[in-house]
Amino acid sequence: MSSSQIVHVIDDDVAVRQSMAFLLSTAGHAVRVHESAVAFLQAFSGTEDGCVVTDIRMPGMDGLELQGRLKSMNIGLPVIVITGHGDIALAVQAMKAGAIDFIEKPFDDDVLLVAIRSALARNLHLVEREAQLAEIGRRLQSLSDRERDVLEGLVAGKPNKIIAYDLGISARTVEVYRANVMTKMRADSLSELVRMAILSGNAS
Amino acid sequence: MVPLAERPNRLEPMTSHTSIPQDLETLTVALEAAEARLQSILQTVPDAMLIIDERGRVESLSATAERLFAYAKDEVVGRNVDMLMATPHREQHDAYLKRYLTTGERRIIGIGRVVTGRRKDGTTFPMHLTVGELQLADRHYFTGFIRDLTDQQLTEIRLKELQSEVTHMSRFMALGEMASTLAHEINQPLTAIANYLKGCRRLLERMAGEPALVLRDAVGKAADQALRAGDIIRRLREFVARGETERRIESLPKLIEDASTLALIDAKENAVTVSFRLDPAADLVLADRIQIQQVLVNLIRNAIEVMSEGGKRRQLDIATVADGGDLVEVSVSDTGTGIAPEVAAQLFQPFVTTKRKGMGLGLSICRTIIEAHGGKIWVDSPPDGGTIFRFTLRTANGEGRSLVE
Repeated sequence: MSSSQIVHVIDDDVAVRQSMAFLLSTAGHAVRVHESAVAFLQAFSGTEDGCVVTDIRMPGMDGLELQGRLKSMNIGLPVIVITGHGDIALAVQAMKAGAIDFIEKPFDDDVLLVAIRSALARNLHLVEREAQLAEIGRRLQSLSDRERDVLEGLVAGKPNKIIAYDLGISARTVEVYRANVMTKMRADSLSELVRMAILSGNAS
Repeated sequence: MVPLAERPNRLEPMTSHTSIPQDLETLTVALEAAEARLQSILQTVPDAMLIIDERGRVESLSATAERLFAYAKDEVVGRNVDMLMATPHREQHDAYLKRYLTTGERRIIGIGRVVTGRRKDGTTFPMHLTVGELQLADRHYFTGFIRDLTDQQLTEIRLKELQSEVTHMSRFMALGEMASTLAHEINQPLTAIANYLKGCRRLLERMAGEPALVLRDAVGKAADQALRAGDIIRRLREFVARGETERRIESLPKLIEDASTLALIDAKENAVTVSFRLDPAADLVLADRIQIQQVLVNLIRNAIEVMSEGGKRRQLDIATVADGGDLVEVSVSDTGTGIAPEVAAQLFQPFVTTKRKGMGLGLSICRTIIEAHGGKIWVDSPPDGGTIFRFTLRTANGEGRSLVE
């Protein structure tokens, strides 16, 4: 990554954005913090290279609106969305709108740093990102057809009962499939599972 | 209405509105007309209705009453009405009638009440009975209007069930509210803490010397704990928001081992002896690891706490039993002072506590977690003292194991 690349951190919580700036600077990134999406848009010249790390729920313009605004302004900065509410539906929406990753607060630094490095290296084949995607792909491969059906339901935000209804099997059986999916995908949470499924979907 | 027709001379009050009879023949015609009108009413009145005389014999009943009690008209008319009643009114009805005719004291007439009816096949049903009185010369007749309450009572039972579901939900929601507010408020500082610590760890990685090494390790561990706190909050929030826990197939002995390690840190200081009796058949369960650990830690800590309050024997037993079917039972028993029955009954309600410094949320949350896992939690007070908390979990032995390659 070149030093001209700037990571823009947008979060309405001052402690969060400052701590993020500290963390990213220890990892060698040039960072600028903004207290709102509007403040970022005002400060952004429109030409500099880098990426955006933004909270999804903020007063005023939220993360999703910001994505829309960047798109309409033809600014191709990659966006990483951070969520504090475990709001998977919103995160899925952000990914569909082109966000390259979503990360739940509080997060492991490596997860954020890998996402940022891959954002900054959009056009390069980033080894660790590729490795990550390959690993997710391998785990997906290990799922049975039924398990994949259940995974699809989960990514669509459906509760067990609805998935059971859709597939014509009992909720109890869905629960077992879901437990297996979580184990095979090595996901600690539903959001992590959804994230892996979407990352893999976007890459393919 | 044969019996009525046989006593035409006693029917003046009923026929007074008709034209004054000229002779016996006209009278008979008028009576037959009145009888026909009554029959047509009895055939069409939507309520079940019957008429009895002062000895309790059924004079007449409506078509709806026939259907309601599943008797044909002929099986009832002329017989004692108590055949349509359930115990204890069945045995007492003749006495009721006698008492009324002697004392004139009204217990049901004009008041109406809910009683139990009895069908031909012996089954009973709730009904609302209104009784009216008809006096013809020196004879009394009683009319009974009956409304079948079966549906209504079913509705009420369903309502009560719903109410308890709602109570559960509101308990759940109160918890959800707290969890969701907490999650948001606490996640922000937790994120900042984790970021600062991970940043420090990165800086320390570039420093040489033993202090830097020790610091790096400590700071890294501190950061992991911030993430762990976030993990606990996230699970709680997901669980209350979706009503579903993230269950996986877990080894019960391992869960117990981990939870005890956490909970027993203080046990040695309190001179508590711990024993485990783990059924080898109680192995794989469907569980959210963190939540079940939370339950176990809670129960074990409670047990240690009550035993530290006194008593010479301080014995903590943790046991599992597989029931051979769908469930395993986990029990945590102590030799403490025991729980008073009146407290035991409401022990799992939120904000009920025997501790001087307790919120009374621990066991309530335990219950919410166990119930969400499809299990039950309860407390036993063995006769020789102490307390046993028991809960059940669903096994993953059946369809679960076959799905795990």
